[in-house]
Amino acid sequence: MSFADLYQFTPRHCGPGALDGILPVLPGNIRSMVAALPHTAIDKIEEIRFRQGKPLILGLAGNEIFLTVEGRPTREAGEAYCVAPIDMERLIQLISNSSFYAIEEELKNGFITLPGGHRVGITGKAVLDGGKIRTLKYLSGCNIRLARAVTGAASSLLPYLLNNSRGDIFHTVLVSPPCCGKTTMLRDLIRQLSNGVPELGFSGLTLGVVDERSEIAGCYKGVPQLDVGLRTDVLDGCPKAEGMMMLLRSMSPRVIAVDEIGRGEDVGALEEVLNAGVKVLATAHGKNLAELAERPALGRIIRSKIIERFVILGRSRGVGTIEEIIDGRTMRSLGVKKC
Amino acid sequence: MLKLIGAVMVIAASGLSGLAMAGNYARRPKELRSLRSALQILETEIAYSATCLPDAFMQVSGRCDKTSATLFSGAAAELSNMSGVTASEAWDKALEKYYPGTALKSGDLSILRNLGGSLGISDREDQIKHLRLAMEQISAETLAAEEEAARNVKLWSYLGFLGGLLVVLLLY
Repeated sequence: MSFADLYQFTPRHCGPGALDGILPVLPGNIRSMVAALPHTAIDKIEEIRFRQGKPLILGLAGNEIFLTVEGRPTREAGEAYCVAPIDMERLIQLISNSSFYAIEEELKNGFITLPGGHRVGITGKAVLDGGKIRTLKYLSGCNIRLARAVTGAASSLLPYLLNNSRGDIFHTVLVSPPCCGKTTMLRDLIRQLSNGVPELGFSGLTLGVVDERSEIAGCYKGVPQLDVGLRTDVLDGCPKAEGMMMLLRSMSPRVIAVDEIGRGEDVGALEEVLNAGVKVLATAHGKNLAELAERPALGRIIRSKIIERFVILGRSRGVGTIEEIIDGRTMRSLGVKKC
Repeated sequence: MLKLIGAVMVIAASGLSGLAMAGNYARRPKELRSLRSALQILETEIAYSATCLPDAFMQVSGRCDKTSATLFSGAAAELSNMSGVTASEAWDKALEKYYPGTALKSGDLSILRNLGGSLGISDREDQIKHLRLAMEQISAETLAAEEEAARNVKLWSYLGFLGGLLVVLLLY
């Protein structure tokens, strides 16, 4: 893809304005370099990568560019602006809101969430205490991932998941490889199910979300920064298995949504939820059902035929393409109009 | 008659400037004590609730003595306008505005500057250490300032008037 293409093509999942939340946390010199980019490029920024001593990299809709000191995009690593130690220092101070001591806990997970739901992954040297990570020091790498809620991303999927006769939804698992819009799709599903969809005659349901990695709702100080609907309770940063049980006991949700199930204990808790008569909305890493079925914990759930809908996502026609919807009971495709 | 008015004015002027000097000596220990208790509040905010620095500064400025409040509210304002300044830059800016209005000495200023250099950039234990150090230094300065005040407050308040009187006597 040439540079000209890069500037003309605007993928539907990227909206303008998200960068406004990021600019204040960038060190001054880098801020002006990024702000000097043409608007068409700014609106496509998905991530900004800092590695001390290495070129600053912007990820734009699947492409990567470097920036020169003047803020001109380039493909030549030789011309690129390299991240200086002082930049890293300032960046860490700015993303921690000048309060490094306040992000110690979050550093254990390797990321922090900014206002606006943007996530910053951080690497450095781990400080261990009794074999467990106490904190990170010598922070040398940062990846700022912009959170962009895409309103309406799940609209075409929704009719396949609603169980109109009972006024709720089918147990659903979204399956996709990384970076195919799984979480974005899940977030919009949550929002629409929670608010209700008048066009489909569907009134909203109480939803509980266990947001272990703060990716779904992008909570900052416990408050969702991304729109997850009116009837949604979010347990932020909570391990999925425990979180699902907590929600089940405390918030009487009709639907529980979680991101990226895979470990045995997650699946165990999921089965508990299924047995409690609460609907499940989950995502899992995988290319297709066959691949999923080979994983021990998930395979068990597929064979038990409890999950009623599997949605396979891909990026054959852009991020968030719905490749297939499969009825989990009959294992037959529901013949999706490609959308 | 004119002479008399002039004499009164000379005595009043030198007397008042003497009182001002005395006031400075008396103010410094008070300001230092107020700073110390403000830093104590900041330490509590950081140590027990890990409040982020802009919020912690606001808390301190609301709860501490008025004389130090401007320093903390100034630093909080600098930090919250998200112009990309670091905590130590914001602290320095606030100090520049706060310092001229106080009776503090340059030594006191450098204690605060040093503290600013380490605010917000390290983990909780380290922050507490730096704050404790600054508080201890301020306590030491407070003791010295109190002794100085005890010696100088009376001296300057008399010296001003007496000096004025001397000038009047010489010129009369």
